[in-house]
Amino acid sequence: MKRMLMLVFILGIVLAGCSNKSSGGGADLDSDEIAGEITVWGWDVAAATFKESVEKFNEKYPDVKVTVEEFGSGDLYEKLTVGLVSRGSGLPDVVLMEDERIPGYVSQFPEGFLDLSEMGYDKHDDLFNDAKIQNVVQDGKMVAAPWDIGPAGMFYRVDIFEEAGVSADDIETWDDFLEAGIQVKEKTGTKMLPIDISNYDGVFQMMMQQQGLSYFDEDGEFAFETDEAKRSMEMIKKFHENDIILNNSGWDGIVTATVNGDVATVPYGVWYTGTIMDQAPDLEGKWDMFYLPAFEEGGNRYANVGGSSLLIPSYTDNKNAAYAFTEFFTTDDDTQLLGFEKYGLFPSLKSTYDSEILTQESAYFNNKPVFKNFADIVDDVPQINLTKDYAKASKIMSNTQAAILLEDKPVDQALSDAKKQLENEMKK
Amino acid sequence: MNHNNQYVNKTFLYVVLSIGVIVSILPFYWMTVGSTLPSGKIFSVPPTFLPGNHLLENAKTLNESLDFLKIMWNTLFISVTYTVISVLISAMAGYAFAKFEFKGKSAMFFIILCTLMIPFQVMLIPLFEIVVALDWLNTYQAIILPTLASPFAIFLMRQNMLSVPLSIIESARIDGAGEFKIFFSIVLPTMKPALAAVAIFSFMSQWNSLLWPLITLNSKDMFTLPVALSSLVGLARIDYGQLMLGTTLSIIPVLIFFLIFQKHFISGILGGSVKE
Repeated sequence: MKRMLMLVFILGIVLAGCSNKSSGGGADLDSDEIAGEITVWGWDVAAATFKESVEKFNEKYPDVKVTVEEFGSGDLYEKLTVGLVSRGSGLPDVVLMEDERIPGYVSQFPEGFLDLSEMGYDKHDDLFNDAKIQNVVQDGKMVAAPWDIGPAGMFYRVDIFEEAGVSADDIETWDDFLEAGIQVKEKTGTKMLPIDISNYDGVFQMMMQQQGLSYFDEDGEFAFETDEAKRSMEMIKKFHENDIILNNSGWDGIVTATVNGDVATVPYGVWYTGTIMDQAPDLEGKWDMFYLPAFEEGGNRYANVGGSSLLIPSYTDNKNAAYAFTEFFTTDDDTQLLGFEKYGLFPSLKSTYDSEILTQESAYFNNKPVFKNFADIVDDVPQINLTKDYAKASKIMSNTQAAILLEDKPVDQALSDAKKQLENEMKK
Repeated sequence: MNHNNQYVNKTFLYVVLSIGVIVSILPFYWMTVGSTLPSGKIFSVPPTFLPGNHLLENAKTLNESLDFLKIMWNTLFISVTYTVISVLISAMAGYAFAKFEFKGKSAMFFIILCTLMIPFQVMLIPLFEIVVALDWLNTYQAIILPTLASPFAIFLMRQNMLSVPLSIIESARIDGAGEFKIFFSIVLPTMKPALAAVAIFSFMSQWNSLLWPLITLNSKDMFTLPVALSSLVGLARIDYGQLMLGTTLSIIPVLIFFLIFQKHFISGILGGSVKE
């Protein structure tokens, strides 16, 4: 399927080059009455949230008929790409997108999406944290309205930690984490954390983000050869040398390890709470979380994994209604809390963080206010620069991780090779 | 001694065959068992190979996420309609290429063969724009029409039709039969294995087709099975129980279809390979 998409992309470039149809354009927001029909695309729980929000939206805008269409997330991207390549054919009026995909789509289809600040969305900037805003602004255009985020933490098994005599409070740095991991392995035989070594560089990404970097720095320069990247990789290498990594396969592998108790911790975004509760109902009370360890004492312990936002394709023939829905959906407390309470989608809308639902204690998570813990760090998550080459870089970094851990390639060498490889691929 | 040797040979053969059978059956068995388990249990280690008691719950969640009967009907209607028309078109085209002489025949056949090399992805965008221009998004015809004349099926039919003796056709003509009568009453009945092979190919390709239906269908009540199953794969949450059940149900009609036509299948494929 990926290869097919690639072909479509290439074709897209060709066709986009031929087309000179100008996008969007149209009436001012105020002059038009807000009415008509719009279509919204989303996946699973997000689409469900869209559907349930329509009723309240219609109280405010009774003349807009909203149709929500639901696809798998990979499917949605394919349909979106085809639609954008065909200059807007068959596209919805509002579309959901993961933040890490936004730079890629915007650079591929620079005219594909409306600039929401032109419609007045920039007045809501203060409602969200800076790191999220940075994700939705591309080349000075605010192309998306922020929805959910995934502040990261270290989920851990309380019972396994107790058995091993390890205390989560004592883990402040990654070195502490390593020591704890070795102790857990010795006392209980359980590995510390799951990493699909040749396919998943998420732990590396989290470590980088704590230090304020993605694969690129704020100027878009490669961050592969920075000290931050080196010490992150060195740390992961130490995990491997001490045999505390469970080398599982893919998303299913992480879920399986979580359910079966094969690992004592899982570093992930807040949305993983939903997966744990869904898949391992028997483990109620045995999970809790602490913040990611830092590289030095007192260092930054915060990162973000995942999150998505709403975009308006510029081909929409009812941009006022599309904007009205987008604005309402992303800035209405009740709607955002509904998505959180029912489906675990953690809002980026900060005004929801004082609500009871987000501050209460969770029986499943050791009677701790886990969600409040996550909400507290939202403003401390460093801003990072997601770029259009994010997916490529991630793939290369996973391979690099495999070379370092499984083939004993020296870290310095591997990272500088990775940089060269990415440079080459970006030239293509 | 010789007898003994034969015995050993046979045992060896059966062991190899049994391994082959287990390797091919196990995934299906596991999928079927998976449809009776709750999502969390499916990936437990060691794997569960005994059916659980979660079938009804899985059916319930599946029914909540999808209108399964409607989706089954969509897929069946599209696949059957497609298969019938596609078999007819390819048989007629194959017959014409095999048994008629006309100007540009070999050039036309060559061009048709060339289209075999064009990957569908290349036609995707133009086809999509045509479908949008016709206002056919989210309709059955958008899925059925574009690939009706399959070059592979035409090629297969033509190779098989070559073996129909010209003398039969000519004697029918002398007896006063029209061309359509000859085609339907004389040629087609002798082509059953080839028709079955093309029918199975067409049916399976349409039944399993994901990309094109995915691009053209928008509302859940129009989805075909592959698109619907694909929509069950969420971003961070996948209910494997319902997915396994849905997949298990989705292969049943194909299985029936294949069992009906399979005895013709092999001979139909081989039919064109030897020219008499």
